[in-house]
Amino acid sequence: MAREEQTYPTIMVKLFGSSREIIGNDKITLKLSEKMTALDLRRMILEQYPQVARKIQFVIAINRKIADDATTVDPMDEVAILPPVSGG
Amino acid sequence: MISITSEPIDLCQILVAAKDGSSGGTTLFVGSVRDHNEKERIFQIYYEAYKEMAEQNFAEIENEARRRWNIKRFVAVHRTGSLKVGDISVAVAVSAEHRKEAFEACKYGVDAIKMRAPIWKKEVSDSGGGWVEGFPLDSD
Repeated sequence: MAREEQTYPTIMVKLFGSSREIIGNDKITLKLSEKMTALDLRRMILEQYPQVARKIQFVIAINRKIADDATTVDPMDEVAILPPVSGG
Repeated sequence: MISITSEPIDLCQILVAAKDGSSGGTTLFVGSVRDHNEKERIFQIYYEAYKEMAEQNFAEIENEARRRWNIKRFVAVHRTGSLKVGDISVAVAVSAEHRKEAFEACKYGVDAIKMRAPIWKKEVSDSGGGWVEGFPLDSD
């Protein structure tokens, strides 16, 4: 009998402004582990996309609200990377 | 009326939306693309927004203004896409019974949009340009 492979849910992260340009796409997909927080997600982004960490500081928005580090992330959430803003 | 739009901003439409029979004054702030920054000439600015979050953010800013001042109508529109020098990028209009509230709430709205709305601009300049270093966001 074939061994069942463990599957992880994924989450799509929207990118804007300089983060979109540095990564070269308007979204990235990340694997989510259980009970992941916004801080875990930030660490994962910095590890997988070190070029972002070198160039910009950013916050994470979850469901269109800026998340604090302890906010948990669900696969159904709308997640985005927000560089410093410059509207007007 | 609150929106992020890729269409040119129509100031008459903004003023009509802001006017209210019970108000004695309406203020209108218009932001446009300037032909220079601190260092060089600017030819164009590209604006990008997280539209859904920005519109939600504008509504929150309106609610904050309503809690602070007795205002009648609050209108905020921001444009996205590539804009030339002189093109209107943002307009905020507020009506109130008296001018003091209208002026103060309009300034509050413009300042809050510039510092908090998820909108980004990239300048095209003599030296090539780049993303404007803006205001870092925080969760407070």
